[in-house]
Amino acid sequence: MEHEKVAELRDLLMALPGCEKVDMCFSCGTCVSRCPIQQKVEPAYNPRRLLKMVALNMQQDSFSSITPYLCSACDLCYAACPQEIHISAVLNGVKKLAVEAGFVTPLKTARVDALTCIGCGFCEKTCPYEAISLKEVNVPMRGKGLLIAEVDAAKCMACGTCSMICRSNSIELQAWENSEGMVDSIWSWFETAEMGGEG
Amino acid sequence: MVDAARHPKVDVRTYTTVERVEGYVGNFKVQLREKARHVIADRCNGCGECAKACPIEVPNYFEMNLAPRKAAYVPMSQSVPLRYTIDEDACIHCYKCVDACGALEAIDFSQEDKIAWEDIGSIVVATGFNHFDPSVIPEYGYSRYPNVITAMEMERLNNSAGPTTGNLIRPSDQKNPQRLAIINCVGSRDKRFNPWCSNFCCMYAIKNAVLLKQMNPQLEISIYYMDIRTPSKGYEEFYDRARSMGIRFIQGRPSLITEDPKTRNLFVHAEDVVLGKISELEYDMVMLNQAAVPQLDVDTVSSVLNITQSPGGWFMEYHPKLRPVDSPTDGIFLAGACQGLKDIPSSVSSGLATASRAGRILHSDEWEIEPIIAQVWEDRCVMAQGKVCGVCARACPYGAIVIEEGKAASVTVAKCHGCGGCVAECPHNAITQMHFTDAQVLAQMRALLADKPEEKVFAFRCHWCSYGGADLAGTSHFDYSANERGIRVMCSARMDPDFLYEAYRLGAGAVLYSGCHPQDCHYITGQKVGATRAERLAKIFEKMEMTPGRFRVEWISAAEGDKYARVINELQQVINDIPHDQLRQEIERLKPEMEKRARRMYETPGVDKAIEYSEEMARIITAQEVKSGA
Repeated sequence: MEHEKVAELRDLLMALPGCEKVDMCFSCGTCVSRCPIQQKVEPAYNPRRLLKMVALNMQQDSFSSITPYLCSACDLCYAACPQEIHISAVLNGVKKLAVEAGFVTPLKTARVDALTCIGCGFCEKTCPYEAISLKEVNVPMRGKGLLIAEVDAAKCMACGTCSMICRSNSIELQAWENSEGMVDSIWSWFETAEMGGEG
Repeated sequence: MVDAARHPKVDVRTYTTVERVEGYVGNFKVQLREKARHVIADRCNGCGECAKACPIEVPNYFEMNLAPRKAAYVPMSQSVPLRYTIDEDACIHCYKCVDACGALEAIDFSQEDKIAWEDIGSIVVATGFNHFDPSVIPEYGYSRYPNVITAMEMERLNNSAGPTTGNLIRPSDQKNPQRLAIINCVGSRDKRFNPWCSNFCCMYAIKNAVLLKQMNPQLEISIYYMDIRTPSKGYEEFYDRARSMGIRFIQGRPSLITEDPKTRNLFVHAEDVVLGKISELEYDMVMLNQAAVPQLDVDTVSSVLNITQSPGGWFMEYHPKLRPVDSPTDGIFLAGACQGLKDIPSSVSSGLATASRAGRILHSDEWEIEPIIAQVWEDRCVMAQGKVCGVCARACPYGAIVIEEGKAASVTVAKCHGCGGCVAECPHNAITQMHFTDAQVLAQMRALLADKPEEKVFAFRCHWCSYGGADLAGTSHFDYSANERGIRVMCSARMDPDFLYEAYRLGAGAVLYSGCHPQDCHYITGQKVGATRAERLAKIFEKMEMTPGRFRVEWISAAEGDKYARVINELQQVINDIPHDQLRQEIERLKPEMEKRARRMYETPGVDKAIEYSEEMARIITAQEVKSGA
């Protein structure tokens, strides 16, 4: 009899393309010593450790780790990995699952100003991570069914290329604020407005 | 080696290749090509005057090309026999060597390759291994950075008889290095190159480090490793000794070596995985402990001797645990690393084992083989009637069947291993396999399918793999359908189409055709014969419009008990999914066709008696079940 089994992090991840070999990691450290991000950007970044955490189903730890969000998918580690693990695909998969589980990327990802976007699609073509797509949306105070660029925060790596190429200066890199933060900021805005009103 | 050369009963043939091997155990005929040395072996006394006189210098392969040798040379000073050879590719025919040889008159430029046939009783293959060339790994910079050397180059530099008389110097400036890095697993445990662990390199790295440290205690040595493997007697203690001598062990596989172009010093980039920190340490010299790989001509040797290869190119043994030094061909044995990587103690034990295995053949007048050999009914073979056939000879993985025009095929008994491929392939049922005759298999089938055959999952299993898999499924207590009924044949090659037709004719619900995975076959290419036939059968059954899934082909190893159980359960599911009446109708519909196709088998000698006997058995079985109220 097959027992009912709850799919855990490792199972969910292995179902994603490119992540099949995550179990094969024998922690040699080649990826870490090959990684430009580890050495130039963030010493806490460690794909080897993340792979181990995934194999051991440490869901909270791997989702809150900085590693999956910082990978730029340069794939220097993939070419050097003796076990032929597509590490950037694994990191990307973890990021995807983390965002689905409600984790917010700590990166300043791209955000589109729907009021000024002209829907030219330059950003969609230029994005190296296929994070931007044009969608028909209703924009308040502008119109209905407009073609506006939309950023998938789970895919965006905050490289800023879209922001550079945007003809209408509609894309900026910003930190995503969670709803609580947004409420707080609205309150503070009201407070200052009130104060301004008084003054 | 010197002792072997001096022994009156040992004949050492060097500079000789094996070109062809014919015959069988105890009676091999081997064609040897003795290459032309241009030196008469009996006259040469190894004085070396010819080498002194020779003006040509070429890289010395034995010294890993770190030193030159002459065109007139011996491979190394301890060569056995100590006979010089003129390298035809390098020689400019100045004939100074002839003058230097003088009165001995040992040099003969008119010599040509000698080809001769020899009678040989048994053959031992001890062709060893080759070294992986690390220059294909760009990140380590071997061949670009002069101070990155291989383990074999280190071996020569460190050897008192080597080109530097044991003085360890770095190639860029001939200075003694003060900081040395040894990198393990270069090209091994690496799916991009060789997936295997090369077995002895961990100990080899430690040995070299200890030797170098003993000679120069000032030398700083770091060994980069993924895992240190010290599984034999005294190895772990040796590792302890290395650490207590101050040799540094860094766990982490380097990803990159860079060079300072001025000093030619090297930087090794690695993560120390224990600390979780990146290190970029500077060294004067780096030794790459490269993987061991099969010899370049392994395919040639394998086809000359008819030995199969395991994945990776190592020669395949008859059985990995029980007959580790026998090759699948009787009378041919495997010693040392050509069968799989071994360190020195294991190579010596395997050599001694092959010597005794091979000696057994030389000492016996008669040779016992398994009694399951194939036999030809000469009156049934169409070759005897002057027709062209030879299907059996093509199916035989051992070349044991001899066919001559106008004569019945004959089996060379000593070569036959009893896979039964020829028996199943013969279109005229003119061959039988002892102990697995058509009649015997048929009787088993009839007994197993006597009662409610449409509910049964009938499995054909090969002796070596899928039968073991079924056994494991049972001993591991895996749950699988109780309706499974199976019989054992030696190989999937023996699974005669007639058996399958007969199984369906008898009304079997579903039939499994199972055997070894292609690389595991114990009969060299037996599985291939079986697999080709299975494909053909699947097409035939499809054309008959049999419900898909009632015929299933699966390759199951002896370790895959879970797979066996799963496959049987899936077949049971196939039977369950067909409405009972529909299944019976289908069986009835296909019966005449199956009977027509299996008709030749009923003519085979012995089959009529088997049918009579098994019908009696079936009658008793059903009668008993009626009595017990089942």
